[in-house]
Amino acid sequence: MITINPLTIKKIRRFQSIKRGYYSLLVFSILILISLFAEMLVNKRALVVRYEGDYYFPTYAEMIPGTTFGYDYKYETNYRDLAVRFSEETGGNWLLMPPVPYGAFETDLKEDRYPPFPPSFSEKHYLGTDTVGRDMVARLVYGFRIAVFFSLILLMVNYTIGISIGSAMGYLGGRFDLFFQRVIEIWTNIPFLYVIIIISSIVVPDFIMLILIMAFFGWMGMTWTIRTVTYKEKAREYTLAAKALGASNTRIIFRHIIPNTISVIVTFAPFAVSGGIVALTSLDYLGFGLPPPTPSWGELLYQGWSNMGAWWIAGSVIAAMIVTLTTVTFIGEAVREAFDPKMYSTYE
Amino acid sequence: MIIINKEDGMRNIIKLYVFIYMCIAVMVFTGCGGEGKDETPKPAAEKHRERARPVFERRPLPDGIKWLTNDADPVFSSEKAKKGGLFRTAIMSFPLTFRFVGPDSNGSFRSAILNNHLGLIGIHPNTENIIPEMATHWAFGDDKKTMYFKLNPNAVWSDGTPVTAGDFAYTLDFMRSKYIVAPWYNDYYTKEIDKVIVYDDHTLAVVATKAQPDLHMKVGLNPIPRHAFEPLTGDFVKEYNWKIIPNTGPYQISDFKKGKYVKFKRKENWWAKDLRYFKHRFNVDTVVFNVVRDYNMLWEHFKKGKVDIFNVTMPKYWHVKSNMPLVDSGYVKKIWFFNDTQQSASGMWLNQDRAIFMDKHVRYAFAHAMNIEKVIEKVLRNDYFRLEHGFMGYGKYSNTTIRARRFDLEKVEQYMKKAGWQRGADGIWTKGKARFSVEVTYSSSEHTPRLVVLKEEAKKAGVELKLQKLDPSATFKKFLEKKHDVAWMGWSTSLRPQYWEHFHSANAHKPQTNNITNTDDPEMDELIDAFRDSLEEDERIDLSRKIQKKIHEIGMFVPTFMVPYVRQAYWRWWMLPDVPGTKMSGDLFSPFSSATGGLFWYDHDVKLETEKAMKEKKTFPGKPIIDKTYKIKE
Repeated sequence: MITINPLTIKKIRRFQSIKRGYYSLLVFSILILISLFAEMLVNKRALVVRYEGDYYFPTYAEMIPGTTFGYDYKYETNYRDLAVRFSEETGGNWLLMPPVPYGAFETDLKEDRYPPFPPSFSEKHYLGTDTVGRDMVARLVYGFRIAVFFSLILLMVNYTIGISIGSAMGYLGGRFDLFFQRVIEIWTNIPFLYVIIIISSIVVPDFIMLILIMAFFGWMGMTWTIRTVTYKEKAREYTLAAKALGASNTRIIFRHIIPNTISVIVTFAPFAVSGGIVALTSLDYLGFGLPPPTPSWGELLYQGWSNMGAWWIAGSVIAAMIVTLTTVTFIGEAVREAFDPKMYSTYE
Repeated sequence: MIIINKEDGMRNIIKLYVFIYMCIAVMVFTGCGGEGKDETPKPAAEKHRERARPVFERRPLPDGIKWLTNDADPVFSSEKAKKGGLFRTAIMSFPLTFRFVGPDSNGSFRSAILNNHLGLIGIHPNTENIIPEMATHWAFGDDKKTMYFKLNPNAVWSDGTPVTAGDFAYTLDFMRSKYIVAPWYNDYYTKEIDKVIVYDDHTLAVVATKAQPDLHMKVGLNPIPRHAFEPLTGDFVKEYNWKIIPNTGPYQISDFKKGKYVKFKRKENWWAKDLRYFKHRFNVDTVVFNVVRDYNMLWEHFKKGKVDIFNVTMPKYWHVKSNMPLVDSGYVKKIWFFNDTQQSASGMWLNQDRAIFMDKHVRYAFAHAMNIEKVIEKVLRNDYFRLEHGFMGYGKYSNTTIRARRFDLEKVEQYMKKAGWQRGADGIWTKGKARFSVEVTYSSSEHTPRLVVLKEEAKKAGVELKLQKLDPSATFKKFLEKKHDVAWMGWSTSLRPQYWEHFHSANAHKPQTNNITNTDDPEMDELIDAFRDSLEEDERIDLSRKIQKKIHEIGMFVPTFMVPYVRQAYWRWWMLPDVPGTKMSGDLFSPFSSATGGLFWYDHDVKLETEKAMKEKKTFPGKPIIDKTYKIKE
């Protein structure tokens, strides 16, 4: 375990003192937190229904058919309809809808009008709808959740592989190092975007598969840096000491060397996150990402591009991307500055 | 490889399939013409006979021939038509050649040239009966492969030379020649047409290689002017690239400037101008095809009055772009004309080799779970229409009593319960470990909005659709390999319905055939075999309708949409008959088509009136014309 040593505390303090990065981190964390509970905020299902004396909490439950609430259909209850009905009746029944009462897959189509519909507060489409009539807020929020977790998981997979191989190369050196150097050189020259496009035009990848495909071509990025850092750390006395005490290679790499290279790893992470988001978005934009109708920013971007007249589509997705990518970049910059070793050797 | 025809965006996807289909499947079904589709080499024994004497046989006419003609079908032109005027239309690029065979000749401009070459007989666009073109009379031989023709003695080539039976015999020589560099034609005229027999200058017979139904569609040859081509040499392709060949139709090219325009002039004393079905047609004096290389530019040209008509079938043009002052003030008219031609069998094809679709009830339930009507109404602006079955618009061959299964939750429930399924906790039907969740494979992102709505609606019925969009060739491969659950696609059309390749068990359960539903039904096989073997029209019509009924009963196909119309905008001084087109019209302002074209005319007085009104800012009533004369009944 990495215990918080005074040096780390100093780094964290330093990070906190860089206001731009610090607030970006707060904003970004809040966004992720919100997106985790998106079902409570943006959903076509009601939060609470009180009907004939019973309480129902449909949000995370199984589907409740219309018959339960006195409708004649067996498919999922339309809670917006139900809200209207309850407000007309005087039976003491009531329900509470989330602030945005639309799901990400639900098409809200109207008589004699054709989507995309512009933003409307009375209809609670705060950012309008996309070209199929799905609520923009819902698409953005759920799309954000998918993009962020996609890139976080991708980051973890990439780093696990990249760091393990990188430090092994640095630590073991010799033929192992030489062999992997060549492998990585060749691997890096494969145009991975095209490969992904080819793969996903033959099979439609799901979430996990897309991560695996992208990790397959993305793990090399970290190896070079980690390899170099490991070479440096390997020559230090503490490594020698550990070796003298009879520690195994694995133990030395994972318990001693990697914790000492953490600052390098942490510095790169935020940029990898924004890279992941951009990669997924561009794949979706090109139509080679997650299968429709998965909520996706790339798809919205494409819709916005082909329907320039519907400014709210392109407008809101571009705004959302700017906010996300800027905060992530600010975080990255602040982390880099906070972990910068030069900091301690400069004199005023 | 996808030919984007901007004139009709809504049909692009169908065209794509038409193309794929043609490449892969239709080679065995000749008749629809077009070279380059089939590169089968012609028999090696084929000697070129270019310099030889005419090869036709001259014999006495056999006895007992019953001559037929047709002078009783209704005419479809208007007596009000006036001759005169200049009609300006546009082509996207200048043709690469004026030849109608050989390299580079298969461009879109070929129809303008070929339409001015008449055949022996034509098909009435409304009744589908045979009508005279170059022949006045015809007769069928007892062998079901010979047809006799009597030529119109007045028929002349545009250079004044009379058309004789020998010109039809020359068609075979010409089309079989290797000098024309047209392997498809070489092959077709060798394998399908056996010979032309000349009895005298105005009597001939054309013999097909085998007995067949609809013989008249195969043997109604076009003559080729021997005097213009003889002797054929190896220089044919080069020599005739820009040559204007004598023709028999109403117009002939009079002038052209490469890269700019092609001008056609009406023949003042055209030999066929007073024939029953040609009277009051082909009225415009001059037709100019200007090259306009950009579609948006063409729209601007049209608005400026530099082009007389514009195709506004695409929703964007009909609903949005053409809502402009020119139309509101009535200077430009808009027409929505419903025709009644073969509709592409587009929809959802269920793979019956999948365990879930082996049960007929489940297939029925699936059909009832598809809310096609909602898609048409809410997504497609009511611009598309519900396809009732796969073979609509085939005239008498279509069974008009079949109705596609409509969205109906109760029926879904009924059928699913009959099949022993229950609703799961998430509302989706389940049976044991199986869940009613199927993959719908499609290829055009234009179709995603439609499928998204279908998916949401299907959920109400307890059916989960998983959408899978693949690249077009991967999609088609997946279908042909029968690896799909549900295929979202449309097939191309042909003159007569084709059943064997789609529904016969001979093509089931194996890859690379068009039976993508794996239909394997003994009764169906019997019907299809009978249909293929029959040479009697009435019997074939009856069987065709029965087969369509059977398809509906098996329920492996959920028909979706059709676009049975054309929408055009035109300047006010262009006039159309009271019924503006025919059942087969795909373009109301086709200037030359011998079957459906040349019905419009130019009214100079109206033009002057309009120009005056435009100056004085006077307006005319500006409502779009909607003609439903031939709309397929619902």
